[in-house]
Amino acid sequence: MISDSGIISEYEAKQLLASKGITVPEGIVVDCLPQTLSLQFPVVLKVSSSTILHKSDAGGVRLNIRNMDELREEFSVMQTKFPHSSFLIESMAGRGAEFIIGVTIDPVFGHTIMIGSGGIYTELYSDVTFRKIPIDKTDAADMISSIKSKVFCQGFRGMRIDCRTLEKLLVRLSDIVMELGTIETMDLNPVIVDREKATVVDAKIKLKLR
Amino acid sequence: MLEFLFNAKSVAVIGASHDPTKIGHAVLENVLGTGFRGKIYPINPANAEIMGLRCYSRIMDVEDSIDIAVIALPAKRSVEILDECVAAGVKCAIIVAGGFSELGDDGKALQNRISEKIKGTRTRIIGPNTVGVLFPYSNLNTALTPKERIYYPGRGEIAFISQSGALGLLTMDSITEYGLGISGFVNIGNRADIDESDLMQAFSEDSHTKSIMIYLESISDGSKFYETLKRVNLKKPVVVLKTGKSEASSKAASFHTGALASDDRVMDGILKQAGALRALDEVELIDYGKVLAYGKPLRGKRIAIITTAGGAGVVTTDLLTSNEYGPALDLAQFNEIEIAEMKKATLPFASVANPVDLTADGGNETYDIILDVISRSENVDGIIAYALPQTPKIDTGIVDILGRYAKNKPMVIGVIGNRLAKDVLRALEKEKIPAYPSISRTVKAMKGLHNYGTFLDRREIS
Repeated sequence: MISDSGIISEYEAKQLLASKGITVPEGIVVDCLPQTLSLQFPVVLKVSSSTILHKSDAGGVRLNIRNMDELREEFSVMQTKFPHSSFLIESMAGRGAEFIIGVTIDPVFGHTIMIGSGGIYTELYSDVTFRKIPIDKTDAADMISSIKSKVFCQGFRGMRIDCRTLEKLLVRLSDIVMELGTIETMDLNPVIVDREKATVVDAKIKLKLR
Repeated sequence: MLEFLFNAKSVAVIGASHDPTKIGHAVLENVLGTGFRGKIYPINPANAEIMGLRCYSRIMDVEDSIDIAVIALPAKRSVEILDECVAAGVKCAIIVAGGFSELGDDGKALQNRISEKIKGTRTRIIGPNTVGVLFPYSNLNTALTPKERIYYPGRGEIAFISQSGALGLLTMDSITEYGLGISGFVNIGNRADIDESDLMQAFSEDSHTKSIMIYLESISDGSKFYETLKRVNLKKPVVVLKTGKSEASSKAASFHTGALASDDRVMDGILKQAGALRALDEVELIDYGKVLAYGKPLRGKRIAIITTAGGAGVVTTDLLTSNEYGPALDLAQFNEIEIAEMKKATLPFASVANPVDLTADGGNETYDIILDVISRSENVDGIIAYALPQTPKIDTGIVDILGRYAKNKPMVIGVIGNRLAKDVLRALEKEKIPAYPSISRTVKAMKGLHNYGTFLDRREIS
């Protein structure tokens, strides 16, 4: 399901990342709602499309659905809003610090990787840092220490995260970009990091067109 | 690498002229007047002699191998004459004229002809659109500004690569105020051939060069630049002043990462990754270049401050320890033995806490005793000392004392004032002790040593 622009669907993007050992929430893509669901509630329901880039803005995301009844209700609303679409149902990620991680091609330096303090406020604070791909463990640690959210590595207001996992994720992403050679741009936003893992909650990937 | 630049044995000036309004006149005058000891060949078919030198009609008439040919002719004529330079086996042609790639498509086409003409030959190009080069160790000065208008720096340890000719010359004129020297200056201009990365590599292999300063408006080859910078910076610290903070292209706006990837942010990250310092103006460029050439990298964060002016110590502390507008370094804590040793040498009302404030009674000898204690201290990683000659017991003799300790630990000197202070600054410069005429510049210099030390620590280099 690659669109003309090279953008693959969120589900495919996450499958691609999962196949390379990166943690993503468990989920399924469906056209209509199944009778039973093997996913753990609460779940999130998202319209699955490679053409709708800002799903939240388009009203294509429902968070924190607690049981099957609520899911049925939300599903029918969503189906009316986006007819002929597929839908992604995923377990909700737990609490943690939110980051944005991305990849883009700089016209001078080529592939670069970015990490920023995160989630939806990234662009407000512009607290981001870039490095040229490939990066190593030292670069990754230096990237994290360059942004304000580094405080969560030591613990801040009851939130403490495992920054080694975050370092590993950055290096892994850099390796994947090098290995595949087909990735043009990538937005992982948010990536939720807790004491054990870094989960890519939303992923947008654009492949190079040949 | 680029040996012909560092040790030129012969220089030809094509377009050399009697006419003082011609660039060929100023260039030849600078080559002659700087005391270049190699052979000098003026080239101009209209003259038999210029400035007492035999003048040749064409470069091929010179029966000698030519290391450097400065082409001081208009753009089109420069390109034509390049054939003769190639035929004569010139090792490096410096093309002064503008009117090439900086002027759109026609200019670009003209510049491409330069590249075509030297392809497969041994002739290399600096420029076009360059004010020239200055290599004080071989007394080579091909700059186009006459000596009546600016001072050129003498021999030193800092290399200076500049994409801008004018700002390069102005900066060089400025640094002569306290006698700062350079190991070489090259204005790369439009970079038809030799670029900033080639020169960075060449200066890293030059025995006189201890640090490298680069002023850039654009990067000629991103990957080559990054790889060279990363490699060179491990050996010799590099400071970069990069202008042109354009915004990210809008085409990537549907992705947050693309929208956030301004040239400035990417450049910032690239420099951090390579461990290079970033300067924001020409003063920072020089200040960082100097401290990295003269000082030891700061491995640790504990700084001792010694002063005879309490206020200077307080302002330094504020700037030094701030994480908002300073490098967030720490004040060193002396132990009891150290405090007792310092107490013996000072008046009862002097403070031997950090900052050590000797008050107006402090003199050269007191500095000697205090510096002896803190430079041996295991509680101190770096020293900021003020050398203030406005009180009776301090004079330029303090320079020798500071010099004795400047090699033990990372040390930066602040000197405030004018009447006697400037002499102290010049004397410190002569001894290659990094000294600065303001508190904020002194603190920033320590930040420069900290930045480089942190980079070496991170890369586990001792």
